[in-house]
Amino acid sequence: MDDLLGLVGHAEARASLDHCLKCTICETQCPVAAVTPLFPGPKYVGPQAERFRADGSVDHSVDYCSGCGTCTLSCPQGVKIAELNSQARAAMKADHMTVRDRIITQTIAMGKLMTPVAPLANAALRVRPLRVAVEATLGIHRDAPMPKATSQTFMAWFRKRPVPSAPAPRGPVVFFHGCAGGYFEVETSKMTVEVLEHLGYRVVVPEQGCCGLAQQSNGLFEQATAAVLALCDRLRSAGSDLPIISSSGSCTGMLKHEAREIMGVSSEALRDVGLRIRDTMEFLRELHEANALDTSFRRQDTTVVYHAPCQLKGQAMGLPAIDVLSLIPGVTIVESEVACCGMAGTYGLKKEKHAVAQAVGEPLFTLIRDAAPELVLCDTETCRWQIREATGLPVEHPISLVHRAYGLSATRARRADPGAPSGA
Amino acid sequence: MKRIVVIGGGLAGLVAATKLAGGGSSVTLVSEGLGGLQLSQGTIDVYGYNPGRVRAPMAAVAGAPAVHPYARIGTSAVRDGVAFLQDALGTGWLVGDPEVNLQLPTALGVLRPTALVPPSMAAGQAQAGQRWAIVGFRQLKDFGAELVAGNLARAELSRGGRIEARPIVLDLPPRSGESDASGLVYARAFDDPAFRERVVAALRPLLDGETAVGFPAVLGLTDPEAWTALRDALGVPVFEIPLPPPGIPGMRLGRRLTAVAKQRGVRFLAGSRAIGHEADGLRLTGVVVGTAATPRRLRADDVVYAPGGFESGAITVDSRWGIRERLFGLPLAGLDDIDRLITDEYWDDPQSVFSVGVGVDAAMRPVRSDGSVVYENLFAIGGILAGACRWREKSGEGIALGSAMAACRAIEAG
Ligand SMILES: Cc1cc2nc3c(=O)[nH]c(=O)nc-3n(C[C@H](O)[C@H](O)[C@H](O)COP(=O)(O)OP(=O)(O)OC[C@H]3O[C@@H](n4cnc5c(N)ncnc54)[C@H](O)[C@@H]3O)c2cc1C
Ligand code: SF4
Ligand code: SF4
Repeated sequence: MDDLLGLVGHAEARASLDHCLKCTICETQCPVAAVTPLFPGPKYVGPQAERFRADGSVDHSVDYCSGCGTCTLSCPQGVKIAELNSQARAAMKADHMTVRDRIITQTIAMGKLMTPVAPLANAALRVRPLRVAVEATLGIHRDAPMPKATSQTFMAWFRKRPVPSAPAPRGPVVFFHGCAGGYFEVETSKMTVEVLEHLGYRVVVPEQGCCGLAQQSNGLFEQATAAVLALCDRLRSAGSDLPIISSSGSCTGMLKHEAREIMGVSSEALRDVGLRIRDTMEFLRELHEANALDTSFRRQDTTVVYHAPCQLKGQAMGLPAIDVLSLIPGVTIVESEVACCGMAGTYGLKKEKHAVAQAVGEPLFTLIRDAAPELVLCDTETCRWQIREATGLPVEHPISLVHRAYGLSATRARRADPGAPSGA
Repeated sequence: MKRIVVIGGGLAGLVAATKLAGGGSSVTLVSEGLGGLQLSQGTIDVYGYNPGRVRAPMAAVAGAPAVHPYARIGTSAVRDGVAFLQDALGTGWLVGDPEVNLQLPTALGVLRPTALVPPSMAAGQAQAGQRWAIVGFRQLKDFGAELVAGNLARAELSRGGRIEARPIVLDLPPRSGESDASGLVYARAFDDPAFRERVVAALRPLLDGETAVGFPAVLGLTDPEAWTALRDALGVPVFEIPLPPPGIPGMRLGRRLTAVAKQRGVRFLAGSRAIGHEADGLRLTGVVVGTAATPRRLRADDVVYAPGGFESGAITVDSRWGIRERLFGLPLAGLDDIDRLITDEYWDDPQSVFSVGVGVDAAMRPVRSDGSVVYENLFAIGGILAGACRWREKSGEGIALGSAMAACRAIEAG
């Protein structure tokens, strides 16, 4: 079909399908096809089925694609398989979007609702009958991991904390916290800011909104496009040419390439933000490559499992977290080498996908349980929830280990409790 | 410490990266997608046909015509390359000898010459007087046990004599309800001891004193003991016969080699394409790679270019038959005696386009037709080299290994 949803991105992705040699490489890498016969795999639902799609008619098996992007990453011919699947899914769902898929994509609303009543919200999410009711009415699986609300948003913390007194010789950088980093994974955002300040930057946090990723992956392209464009304007309002840093691995991917490649958004604002935005670990690695990273890390005798999330790998920048963490003396890093934890954004939350998502994540959970590390590190929020839920271990953003190795965690602890022992 | 960028993650790129990282260099391997290794049969072909069937591959390498990549690579680099791979993979991964070809059955029941094989294939070496059962699965596509056994039984062996072969087809889906499964789904099922037990239970009563049992090459993806467990339970030698992609033995080899490369410190930039380069006169100083949104520059003291050939998109042909190398615009060799790049005779004539490629010196540095090097620190290896129709000769893996070694030697000496 020439104008599925009338997308520029679709025309581009579609043009790539003729490059498919039917080599089967993508098929061998897809973590969903590996665990369920319900999904025939990327080669079939991607370049093959796409040829037969007309007038918005889409084979429903594409719905089982989690959008993890592993296929696109492994294709030696540059076929935009995952992108084609996301577009087909959007077309398929266009006329019957479920209430659930609309709700779980409202990441900011969820955060705003839950923050003021955090203890209550957290308790409610643990109440079984309530979760069963939610599953029945909304289709969010009763055992799906849910974010843990915190009592203070990152924005409130940032506003209220004492203005940093240390000089900032390296000038300003913009921090993009993302929805989860604003409302749920607040510690990650705080630590990122403190590390950047430690390195001599002045951190600017403009008012910002959602990047629309969850809406995009659920096929709500119109809303997602509006969200991402509004966000770009806000991020740019903080100053032109400034680096934009984010610890939300998947939102960074949305700004760098997914909005353009999947939804065909082609605005100058998005292009500008895409060029300037850096994943936190990528930014630190660039500093190191330019001999500008403080590497006076304190020794951390610890073994960590690092899981690179699918949406980070999709940015094709290698594994900057491993490159940076390798600079810390004493740290042993076990790389998971597993394609996806199963969550893939909001996929694992859904009732009909939950079992598949758990099966996708099982090799990762087993690896982590066997390694029994002190800490698991992973760059995206929903993946951390999924891994925490499945393994019961602490799962943090890699910045937490950098924060600790700079001695900043100890400083923070002393500030909070002046009697606490010093040292990392 | 030397900074080396390797472009391409097929056999050639993986081996060069592993060797150089093991030697202490800082190596980044850039690859758009996975390389061809996992599409291969998981065997190492050194020289199979030249154009007649080759018995002694290394002797054939020594006698390769002047235009052939082997003439530049030389026998010692090929031997070293094979030995390096065997050693890097560790025991239990590849058996055989580059001096002698084995003759192993294909999924069409033809005997194919190859030099090194995974131990799970070794019992498939054809010898007169053997009695084989060839096992298929009704739900497995791309493997017809009747076809394989029928063709094997029909053929007179090159040294005289015959093999007796008969098919056995089992009705055992890899997952319940699946009726048209790929080898990959079966391989995952064979990782599970319970599935293997079901196969043994169904098969044992049907065997009749055969000397060996041939299976499609799906005997386990991650469990290296899967095929030996099956052999022991059946009490008869078993061997695997490679299938068209997804090829499980190739996948196993690819995964293993990637893991070894990582252990030795190779950094992978997966999914990104090298899109440009920076040079200072005759020396390359960096490679530009496309990552999401921003191109990124990787500084390099040496660059190893292992992008495969025409089939990998490293060499392209336009609608006017213009042919060029995509990344560096390197001069192409092998065009002189060609009238047409592609012939209409799909099965008969060699497709000339496959032997077009880059000409190199003994250090594997691309050269112009007058013999001058293009860049002093650019090394081209594997499928990009001119002068061989690799898939037809069954020489692709030997060329990849030999050229990788020759380039590593030059880099490590420089
Ligand atoms: C149909 C077919 C059958 C064959 N059968 C046989 C056989 O039976 N026996 C045999 O010996 N040989 C065979 N060959 C040849 C064999 O596959 C190759 O010779 C061998 O695999 C080459 O390995 P390589 O490492 O050079 O390249 P490849 O395995 O092709 O790997 C190259 C990699 O580099 C990547 N790449 C290319 N350009 C860039 C770039 N600019 N940036 C980043 N990455 C890049 C590609 O995506 C690819 O992943 C066959 C070939 C074909 C096409
Ligand atoms: S990996 Fe790429 S070329 Fe190969 S089958 Fe998949 S889409 Fe086609
Ligand atoms: S995006 Fe992930 S789940 Fe979807 S087809 Fe590709 S590899 Fe499979």
